[in-house]
Amino acid sequence: MNTQPKTAGKPPALEVRGLTKHFGGVYAVEGCSFEAPMGQVTGLIGPNGAGKSTAIDLISGFKLPDSGTVLFKGRALEGLPPHVISRLGLIRTFQAPREWPGLTVLENVVMANWDSGREGFLRGLVGLGSAQRGRAADELVKAREILDEFGLTKLRNERAGNLSGGQKRLVEFARIRMAQPQLVILDEPMGGVNPVLGERMALAIEAFIASGTSVIVVEHNLPFIERVTQHVIVMAQGTVIAEGPFETLRSNRDVIDAYLGEMVKQ
Amino acid sequence: MSAYIVSILTEGAIFGIMALGLNVIWGWSGDFDLAYYGYIAIGAYMTLVLTIGPAVAPAHYILGLQLPYPLAVVIAVLSAMAVGLVVGLIALRHLRGIYFSIVTLGAVYVMYVLAGQYVPLFDGYNGLSGLFDPMGDWFGLDYLSYQWFLMGLCLVMFALVLLFMWRLSGSRFGMALRTLREDERAAAAFGRDIYRLKLKGYVLGAGVGGFAGALFAAYLSAFNPSAWSPVEIIVLYAAVLVGGRGNIWGVVLGVFIMGLVVQESTRFLPEVPGHPQIVLALRGVIIGLVLVLFLRFRPQGLLPERRYVDPEPKLEPATRTA
Repeated sequence: MNTQPKTAGKPPALEVRGLTKHFGGVYAVEGCSFEAPMGQVTGLIGPNGAGKSTAIDLISGFKLPDSGTVLFKGRALEGLPPHVISRLGLIRTFQAPREWPGLTVLENVVMANWDSGREGFLRGLVGLGSAQRGRAADELVKAREILDEFGLTKLRNERAGNLSGGQKRLVEFARIRMAQPQLVILDEPMGGVNPVLGERMALAIEAFIASGTSVIVVEHNLPFIERVTQHVIVMAQGTVIAEGPFETLRSNRDVIDAYLGEMVKQ
Repeated sequence: MSAYIVSILTEGAIFGIMALGLNVIWGWSGDFDLAYYGYIAIGAYMTLVLTIGPAVAPAHYILGLQLPYPLAVVIAVLSAMAVGLVVGLIALRHLRGIYFSIVTLGAVYVMYVLAGQYVPLFDGYNGLSGLFDPMGDWFGLDYLSYQWFLMGLCLVMFALVLLFMWRLSGSRFGMALRTLREDERAAAAFGRDIYRLKLKGYVLGAGVGGFAGALFAAYLSAFNPSAWSPVEIIVLYAAVLVGGRGNIWGVVLGVFIMGLVVQESTRFLPEVPGHPQIVLALRGVIIGLVLVLFLRFRPQGLLPERRYVDPEPKLEPATRTA
């Protein structure tokens, strides 16, 4: 593909080469290659069954690829378990919000921050040192600020499982803000979200970029993709069929056939 | 009457330690473990073979040492943890929910059959006996004062385990275990090593179970397959469920209530001539009924797991109206 994004000498945030995964005889992802530039929002679109979700699972370590490489900050990720990838600074969300339902909204946000120095069994038993107590206090202050930013302050003591679908999406975004990864992959964040909330999420994505988190967003909502992305990758039948800025894809016949055409026919 | 109260309190403290260990595995980490009674049994058996001295024919058992009781308890706890580690390594790798439970049920029956049928291990069906008043000699206690001493020991140990669990419950470690219970894929996505963390919780629970077993051995002075059956675990689950899964104070309350139910519910029933087992059977029916009623009407238990409540921020009146 010679429509590589111009990253002006910057290494890409994520580089995927020849990623392949089959289930039985079905190739879910086959020879999928793309780059996501640093400091930008990259859209990943394609019809149902195009292999987008499987690709995310392969990148984030939730599934093992049959072949292919995934480079994150120049480091190979394939074969690493999900928690290691997460600790390296690549965090993904899921199609359905995966809050910790029995924990409060505030706890959901606080626990999004993985802190190796405080999570050990012995630490729990003997207590924290002063530096760790300081980190815990800072973390709580930061979590409250983030909840305020997302308008969730009133709900902070509510169990996350009692929230509406849209509120759970906001909690998910708040968790990402807390974890501050270098790259986040959002899997259909607009699922079941009303337009007003959608605008809030678009702003949140801009805030991710401003705080140094690059974004890949998988989404069926094309106006949203047009609104938030600088670069779009189109997948169909397990591979990348086109990429470029959203406007240039409107006129791309392959894309229309594979995806937009299908939408029009509906 | 005082002898009765002493025995009830001793048993209650031991039962409480058992339930607190189970609460780590089921209450916090969220795994319905059916092998748990096996760790209690290992704690009891190991304490006995380490303290009662060599086997005299026709009895057979391993080790047969005469270690001081506290040292035997430590080794017994480590043994229970080691077996818990092996079971956990296998069962926690990929299995969850009912599949995990079935594998742990298999594991506990392997332990039960081995202990009951393989004579050279713990003398098979005869089991082990002869641990009389451990540490009693050190303080020159007679039989009656020893019962008081053992009650005090068990209550102090129960308080220590409770303190230990209280520290862990509110800690980051306890919270991380709960994220696994609530949604482990999200926990992995936010950096938690699910397998390792679950194993830590599981082995910790097994160790606490083994500790309760070691105290149980001192209380019973003997242990054999009729003293434990894997289904005993249901009473422990009932205690944790009734009190409040995940809440250590709830677990304490649940132990008190189930102790009362088990001990007292059938106390005033008349004996039915020719059916000596009927009181025992009724006890089982009552425990089952309590379980079903709680699952249906109050699955969170009497004292549900408490969550951190963030206080209202102190705002200036002007900003509050904004």
